[in-house]
Amino acid sequence: MSFLAFSFIVVSLLSFVVAQLILKRAMESTTTRGFRNLRFVSLVSGGIALMTISFFLTLGLLQRFDLSYLYPFQGLSVIFITLMAAIMLKEKLNLRLTIGALLISAGIVLVSLS
Amino acid sequence: MQNRPRGFGNPWLQLALSVLCVFVSELLLKRGVTDVAEPHNAFSWTGINGLASPLVWWAILLIIASFISWLYVLRYIPLAIAFPLSRVVDILVPLGCWIFLGELISTLRWCGIALVVIGLALVAKPVAQIEERL
Repeated sequence: MSFLAFSFIVVSLLSFVVAQLILKRAMESTTTRGFRNLRFVSLVSGGIALMTISFFLTLGLLQRFDLSYLYPFQGLSVIFITLMAAIMLKEKLNLRLTIGALLISAGIVLVSLS
Repeated sequence: MQNRPRGFGNPWLQLALSVLCVFVSELLLKRGVTDVAEPHNAFSWTGINGLASPLVWWAILLIIASFISWLYVLRYIPLAIAFPLSRVVDILVPLGCWIFLGELISTLRWCGIALVVIGLALVAKPVAQIEERL
C-alpha cells in the first residue's frame, strides 16, 4: 500500500473518532442548555462535517482495495481513543489495554502485508 | 435498564438491527463503489464519484438507520455493554467479504483479521468506559 493510501486511512479513522467525541459533547450540552444554542449547533455541524469527510475518504479507498483488507484498520480507532485518553485524561494504560493494542497492531501489520 | 420496552422497541433487538445495518451497509458500499470505480483518476480519492451508484445511497440510508437505533440502544443499555457486543460486526464483515463479495482472503490476512478481532474483544469494554469519560 502507498503512503498516500495509509494516510487517508488514518485521517478517515481519526476524523470519525473525533466526530464521535464532538457529537457526544454536543448531546451532553443539551442537558443543561437545550438544543437552541450556538454551542450545540456548532458542535453538531462540526461533528457531521468530520463524519462526512471520513465517509468520502472511505469511498475513495474502497475503489482501490478489498473490503477485507481495509476493514481491519478500524481496529486503529480504539487505539486512537486509548491514546487520547492517555493524553487528555492522563490515564495510565493497564495491561489488558496494552496487550489488546499490541494484538490489534500486529493484526493490522499482517493484513497490510497480505 | 428498568422499564425496558418490548416488541420492536426492545433495545436488544434494536442493537441487533443496528449491527445488521452496519454490516449490510459496508457490503453495499463496497459493491456500489466497485461498480463506478475510477482507480486511475486522482479525483476519485475524494470518493465523490461513488455517489453515482444507487447502492451507495441505500448504504447511506442504512448508516443513518443504524445510527438512530444505536442512539436508542444507548438510552437503555450502558455503552460498556453495548459497544463490546456491537463488535460482532468485526467478525461478520470479513465473513461477508468472503461469502457475498467473493474476495480471496489469504491465510495471512485471516490471521491478521483474527488478531484484530481478539485484540478488540480484549479492549472493547475498557475502551467504552474510557470513551464515556472523554
